Amino acid sequence: MSDPTVTTTAHAPVARQRIISGFTLGTGLVLAALLVVFYLTNTMAYNETLSETATNTIYVFGILLGVVAAIITIWVALSLGYHESVGRQWLLIGLGVAAFAIGDLIWMTLELVLAQDPYPSIADLFYPLQYVFFTAGIAVAVRSYRGFVNINRPLLFGAIVAVSGVGLVYVGVLAPYILSAGADELTNVGKFVSTLYPVGDVVFMLAPAITLALVVNQLGAGRLSWPWWFVIAGALIFAATDTFYSYADWAGIGTTAILDLGWVGAQLLFAVGALVARDVYRS
Amino acid sequence: MATVPEVVVTVLSPYVGAMAADTCVRATAISIGKSMDSLCCDDMPALEQSIRRLLSPVAPSTTIDRVLSDIQGGVLA
Repeated sequence: MSDPTVTTTAHAPVARQRIISGFTLGTGLVLAALLVVFYLTNTMAYNETLSETATNTIYVFGILLGVVAAIITIWVALSLGYHESVGRQWLLIGLGVAAFAIGDLIWMTLELVLAQDPYPSIADLFYPLQYVFFTAGIAVAVRSYRGFVNINRPLLFGAIVAVSGVGLVYVGVLAPYILSAGADELTNVGKFVSTLYPVGDVVFMLAPAITLALVVNQLGAGRLSWPWWFVIAGALIFAATDTFYSYADWAGIGTTAILDLGWVGAQLLFAVGALVARDVYRS
Repeated sequence: MATVPEVVVTVLSPYVGAMAADTCVRATAISIGKSMDSLCCDDMPALEQSIRRLLSPVAPSTTIDRVLSDIQGGVLA
């Protein structure tokens, strides 16, 4: 996967063909650089070494990176075409990234502009939409490979991961913190939302990502698998980040720059995956 | 000279990997009542139809057209 240069058909004169375009490489590098800048400055903000204005600017910067990821992913999906199955798969992934970005924008507006507690809020209507769109996109993608590879075993393993993961979340987060919280600590809506996220991370991000990984792994070095590895990496990072946030929030550890890096990085990986898909389909 | 199955597997492998490409050709051969090794130029329409059906959920039609064109080129070579 790391080698973007492959040899084409053995029956034609041997030709070297570059699969990953300069545009994708360039955009990926720029996004990676912006992510590093975000992490470094956000770390300074968490250490309270920056002014309030600078801290808020970095906060907005991180959210805008998510918006950029949504725009890139949806743009690629639309350029592939909604009439194409792969276009619909990437559009679902892109709508998921967009839902998360809208949730972030609402959260930011409530927190920075309106000075309100954003949790729980209307933003919590949009964050879970990423689960819906992501799971739908991955389900369509997994199903689309059924003519080439075995998808039953990956689906079974994904189901096992989902069930055992929910068990771990229950033991680690739900039972000790959320479900045992008193009414003064958490309203019923808050309890529902706080349960939804860690469970959703496992059932709708981690399990589908592992299922997809087991499916595309059967394609070996086949280039149609390349873009999905970015999606898988993004989903694993997102699930780990979001689940740990649930734990950290309730355990009193609080959020950190690493967690913010995880959320933003995951969305950017989805966008880079879409760009790689665009190149692979053109090759 | 390469056989039809060899050409198809060679063209498909960069996209879906050698194992899946082999599975694709084998499944097509079975669907038309033949073994993989006995596939010949006369079976190209069935092979192309099968490849298009299998690839259409995982690749855009322009990519599939290119793959089929490469296969035809390889078979005719």
